[in-house]
Amino acid sequence: MRTTQRIAMVAAGTAAVLALASCSSDASGDADPSDGSPAAEDAEGVGPITFASGKDLTGAMPQLIEMWNEMHPEQEVTFLELSASPDDQRTSFVQDFQAQSGNYDVVWGDVVWTSEFAARGWLEPLDAEAVAGDDILPAAVESATYDGQVWAAPFMTNAALLFYRSDLIDTPPTTWAELREDCAIAEENDMQCYAGQFAQYEGLTVNAAEAITSAGGAFLSEDGASVAVDSPEAREGLQNLVDMFDEGQIDPAAITFQEQESANAFLDGSTLFLRNWPYVYTAASEEGSEIAGKFDMTVLPGIDGPGSSSLGGINLGVSAFSENKQTAKDWVEWMQSDEAQRVLVSVMNQASVRTDLYTDPEMVEVSPYLPNLQESLMNAVPRPRTPNYNAVSLAIQQNAYAALQGDVSVDEAITTMAADLELAIAE
Amino acid sequence: MSLITSLTKRQPATTSSDPARDIREKDGRLAFWLVVPSLIVLTIVIAFPVVWSFVRSLYGDGIGATPFVGGDNYANALWGNGSAEFWDAARFTYFFTAVSVVLEVLIGVAMALVANRAFRGRGLLRASVLVPWAIPTAVAAVLWKWAFDPNGIVNAVTGWDLIWTGAEGPSTVAIIVADVWKTAPFVALLVLAGLQIIPEDVYEAARLDGANARQQFLRITLPLVRPALLVAILFRLLDALRMYDLPAIMTGGANGTTTLSVLVVQSSLSQLKPGYGGALATLTFLLIFITAFLFVRMLNVNAVEQAGVRTPRKKDSE
Repeated sequence: MRTTQRIAMVAAGTAAVLALASCSSDASGDADPSDGSPAAEDAEGVGPITFASGKDLTGAMPQLIEMWNEMHPEQEVTFLELSASPDDQRTSFVQDFQAQSGNYDVVWGDVVWTSEFAARGWLEPLDAEAVAGDDILPAAVESATYDGQVWAAPFMTNAALLFYRSDLIDTPPTTWAELREDCAIAEENDMQCYAGQFAQYEGLTVNAAEAITSAGGAFLSEDGASVAVDSPEAREGLQNLVDMFDEGQIDPAAITFQEQESANAFLDGSTLFLRNWPYVYTAASEEGSEIAGKFDMTVLPGIDGPGSSSLGGINLGVSAFSENKQTAKDWVEWMQSDEAQRVLVSVMNQASVRTDLYTDPEMVEVSPYLPNLQESLMNAVPRPRTPNYNAVSLAIQQNAYAALQGDVSVDEAITTMAADLELAIAE
Repeated sequence: MSLITSLTKRQPATTSSDPARDIREKDGRLAFWLVVPSLIVLTIVIAFPVVWSFVRSLYGDGIGATPFVGGDNYANALWGNGSAEFWDAARFTYFFTAVSVVLEVLIGVAMALVANRAFRGRGLLRASVLVPWAIPTAVAAVLWKWAFDPNGIVNAVTGWDLIWTGAEGPSTVAIIVADVWKTAPFVALLVLAGLQIIPEDVYEAARLDGANARQQFLRITLPLVRPALLVAILFRLLDALRMYDLPAIMTGGANGTTTLSVLVVQSSLSQLKPGYGGALATLTFLLIFITAFLFVRMLNVNAVEQAGVRTPRKKDSE
């Protein structure tokens, strides 16, 4: 009997470790916006700062930071590189904010995090004139705005493009109907017709959002306070994707695709159309690529005309717990400057938030997709802006996925999605 | 374990004046103070998080204010809005555990029996069997994710054209295969240790009595290796019930492969709902605790003896 009790305790101990998981998201961290600002040691808030960034895949971030540091030796920026996974980055930021440590003065945030961080009182409000002026893309500004206030400086932006095989297609489709007609060409050439990202993860939210907004639907109201998805337009948009799966116009394997798998399906020459981010251009045009010189890009298709892309990108936020807020604000503003953004486009090969760079001949020379991207960005729609973004995104993914799998009808999926979104934004 | 032993040992000695007991009492007291540091560490890293997680689960998850809500988070998970996903996850977790533990035990025992034979290259075989166990689960998950890709090696070898992680049945199979591949060696290792302490003369005697191989296995090997085997199963049971990495990486929890741990992480880390997440963690903890307790009670597993902790406890604990 006694032994049994001991074993039970061993078992309890082992099982207990499990509960640790829930504890790392600490209860006390949800700061109220009103009590969140620690006393600044330096009255002017000027001094060295730390920039917590996602993994710098371009390798050029140190170059940008060096430019600033040379000009401002007293306000040096330290570059802190975090994980390559957005989820891990977000976890690091959340932990830093919850601890109110101020270790990260400036954080690199996916556009969909801005609302949540702002609502929790973790970001310092920024001056709209300084970081969200006329020279910045409106869609990017919108993504940095929450509750009528600008909370972050748009730094990089992104929108999806439709890649197609120009050796097989003369005039690229502008509507889904045209694209589906072109699928006959794929069949003749023994290729898959269309690929996107349909595995159940954030990429599916993005693809479903594009299908639904291109058909005139929306997930949430403009202010994020009510659910708007229960509409005929949303049903039409999702139905289109479901039909394409049913009729084999979307590669059946695409139900497991994330960005890279879908890019591979296009890069190996087995897919006619691909929805992806501009980065695929680099790999596709590289020496030795199967499809070099045989592809081109255009904007995503819609129902009656060109569709709208989901907006990607990075906003730079200033931590509410930073001790050197003034330097942090000056620096994020400088990161938007013409000087810095040119490095972003030409060295980092990323999309700028500055409108004028898209037509700059020097820049177009480096990245020929810029005019297409600008067109895509002009119509781009930010994903739902809500402090409960992750719960909202999960509700979209799960229900869209069920419809794509044919587990439920589109009508049912949208009805359930509306109910799930209702719960997600209520929490 | 020594902690509990020394604590129980101390008590009967306090009222006696027998010199032998005095010495033992001194030993006991010393032992007590020696384990105090471990006790403190355990309190900090185990007791505190468990209690805190429970306390936090009684509060709400709003942004800013987090009012006391009592059992609301639990009600929500058990029969409220979250009940469908909670019970789906519980069902999948137990199904996954049952199937994978059975397979792991069958394969693990077979591996151990082979590895226990004396033959050339036995050392190499034993080492290579352990390789999957040495690979971190997350890495194994990525490996199997590639293997089960529509263009992956599994389809290439079998000639099938199956989208493994794109439908419920195949996803479940893929995750179970990955888990069995990874942890059958663990069962093999523990069982092998158990096999090696069975003296060879028992088998000789059996052979003289005319027992065939099957009889030897059922009448000698199995009963003698039973304690080690049950401990292996207990460990596997606890491990499988808290499975997170494989489904999180291979399917992202899609196609009905969300386990309880995936749900806990989703709520508490991804959606920043420590209250609801804490409730899910506590419920998961209770489910695992009850399962382990029932297993131990029904099969009378003696984990401590088997773990090799041989203290004089038996003598003085009665």
